[in-house]
Amino acid sequence: MNDIDRLVKALDLAPHPPAQGPAARELRTAIMETPQARGRSSWFRRGGVRLPVLISAVAAAAVAIAVGVGLPSRGPATEYANAAVSIARGDEYFSVTITDPAADHRRFEEAFRAVGLKVRVKVVPVAPEHVGMLLGPIVPGGFKGPGSVGVHEMTPCASAFCGKVWLPANLSQLVVFGVGRPARAGETYAEADLYDPSGEEALKGYTTRGKTVAAVRDELRRRELKVAYRLLWVTEDNGFFDEVVSAGRVKDDWIVNGTRFRSSDTVDVYIDPGPGAGPMPDSREVARPEWYDGLTD
Amino acid sequence: MTQRDRFEAVYDAYYPAIHQYAARRTSSPDDTADIISETFLTAWRRIGDVPEGDRALLWLYGVARRVLANQRRSATRRAVLVDRLRDELAAGRPVTPVDLEHVQTAFDALPGRDREVLALACWEGLTSEEIAEVVGCTRIAARSRLHRARKRLAALLERRPSSTIAMGEA
Repeated sequence: MNDIDRLVKALDLAPHPPAQGPAARELRTAIMETPQARGRSSWFRRGGVRLPVLISAVAAAAVAIAVGVGLPSRGPATEYANAAVSIARGDEYFSVTITDPAADHRRFEEAFRAVGLKVRVKVVPVAPEHVGMLLGPIVPGGFKGPGSVGVHEMTPCASAFCGKVWLPANLSQLVVFGVGRPARAGETYAEADLYDPSGEEALKGYTTRGKTVAAVRDELRRRELKVAYRLLWVTEDNGFFDEVVSAGRVKDDWIVNGTRFRSSDTVDVYIDPGPGAGPMPDSREVARPEWYDGLTD
Repeated sequence: MTQRDRFEAVYDAYYPAIHQYAARRTSSPDDTADIISETFLTAWRRIGDVPEGDRALLWLYGVARRVLANQRRSATRRAVLVDRLRDELAAGRPVTPVDLEHVQTAFDALPGRDREVLALACWEGLTSEEIAEVVGCTRIAARSRLHRARKRLAALLERRPSSTIAMGEA
């Protein structure tokens, strides 16, 4: 624990676990006297374990099943499944299970639409560890609330992806999700996450953080990998952004912050700007297109 | 094990932690009691969704977090369920020591997201991976948020001439 953590810990107003008094025990009893929600009967959920959707991807390409439970006949379904994805609407979130990450984006959109969510879906190339992952949600122009949007991946998962999605019930803004498909050889990955400035490592058995650019470049070439460079700028408010630069902008003795695969054959080397790198550019001017750009209502 | 047995076990095991989580983030016994009540009501209604083992606590933190964020309160439910609990919680609520007021001021000046991850790390003692599960983001994003929050707090504290802050990795 560092000094900062120790100081924050010292602010803890409830450092000691309380004893469970009589009122707490009464609360437990009172809660157990309230009715429980009916279990969501579901043909693909048994014993708390989510099973893969039991539809052959080949035979059922055009098959979709919508199950409405206790809703007006014209309202959104509470559960919907097709060969690509199944979605179940719960009290507080939507459970999403992706079975075919490479399916057409329209299969995902129809499923979201069936349960009442207005979303656009883009199937994007990703690194092997992110195949099947649900990226986003992205609200172009910024989420204006109220409420919150988010995705929480659930594990273990018998399908390509299992997760929960939170969206406000009456959200009028466009929401964009990505579904990660396997990238082709050399195809640039969509960035599922922001780069972590505390250091990421792409290479097995070799730590790049803290080494010079020259040393890391030599190691990448020894592994027959192409090299790309990004300067990692830290802003006054301790935010950060990266700038894609050519090899000519980088000095051999600058220090590497970390590495991440850009594609199957290329590694991005994130570098702390060294002497002469200067001045820090406007982050908006060096921003690159994101995987979710170009989608509109 | 019946659902009642399971809920009793979850409640008894994690009531202290949820109590602490709520007390740390609310300013009145009323609000603390509300968070506890709503969180365990949700657990009771969805006991089949509560994970086994220690992950149950992360699940409960996630519920408590949303209850807190949404400030969903039911006056009727509170009257029935938590009035006595409020009285039980009201005794001896601590205050920040005077010599830490500058830290509290700096902490309060942080963006809400920073305060949240720092509190989860330092008060609940969660790892980045566990924080990711509670707040619903990736492990990398949680690490990144935590890193930035520490740096921002260090920067705020360093504006005090006498402060010397060491930043380390968790």
